[in-house]
Amino acid sequence: MLLAPLIAFAVIALATVALRGGQARQRRHLVGRVVDGPVDRPAILFFSGAACTICHTAQRPALERLAPELDGRVAVREIDVAAEPALARRFRVMSLPTTVVLDGEGRARAVNAGFASAQVLRGQLLDAGLLAAEASVA
Amino acid sequence: MGTVPFDRSVLKVGQVILMAGLLIGYVFSLLHPLGSIALPVLAVMMLHGAAVPSQSLPRLLYLRVLEPRGLVRPRVVVEDPAPHRFAQLVGGVFLAAGSILALAGLSVAAWTLGWIVIGLAFLNFAFDICAGCIMYAQLVRAGLLPLRRSAA
Repeated sequence: MLLAPLIAFAVIALATVALRGGQARQRRHLVGRVVDGPVDRPAILFFSGAACTICHTAQRPALERLAPELDGRVAVREIDVAAEPALARRFRVMSLPTTVVLDGEGRARAVNAGFASAQVLRGQLLDAGLLAAEASVA
Repeated sequence: MGTVPFDRSVLKVGQVILMAGLLIGYVFSLLHPLGSIALPVLAVMMLHGAAVPSQSLPRLLYLRVLEPRGLVRPRVVVEDPAPHRFAQLVGGVFLAAGSILALAGLSVAAWTLGWIVIGLAFLNFAFDICAGCIMYAQLVRAGLLPLRRSAA
């Protein structure tokens, strides 16, 4: 009987590790997906919704903080998932906010389920070579 | 079902009842087999809450006792309650399975399920990590459950 809490703790820990691994695999799977339609420059897709409080109170301000560094070279596009369900399905948006970093060919280079800070997005743009290091410092 | 105003305090009350009830039952079951009665009692509470959320014990306790006396403050958010109902259903099924195992004399297996429910309830209570909701999202993604949200 005294073993029960220990076994339960081990089961929860194993399930957490498996879930983390699954989420990482899914992110890798989604990275590389291409959007339909013309793409003229790299972009950050910001999936949002009317009922998503954190989208309006945290994610949008984070993108607004990042915008001056992007200097028009990376577009930011806010997408209401209710208005554009097909695009949301393509990137398997299951929680809001979700942000997707696209390169100049419309290929996903990073996918963030949940809030992504300006620092995280800046790092992803730098890693993908979509933002010059000196621009981010300025 | 879409996103609706939803008081998270009801969930918190339910999680506290669940954790306290299971812990008391577990300690008691170390002394007497009758302690395992906590498993079916709380299974019924959770399954009833999943089936008829408006009449669930935590909700009634919160609305009639705790909230009017200012013991628990409302925490209204706008979200889809379906994943939380599913999480309750999963918890109820775990406890129902634990009850059957306890009846069969498999106390360690029964209370392992009970402790899994305690652990997951604690994660949800303390950190808002809802394992049942994650399971719900995965099942929707796999096409095994219908998507009932207004978004995505």
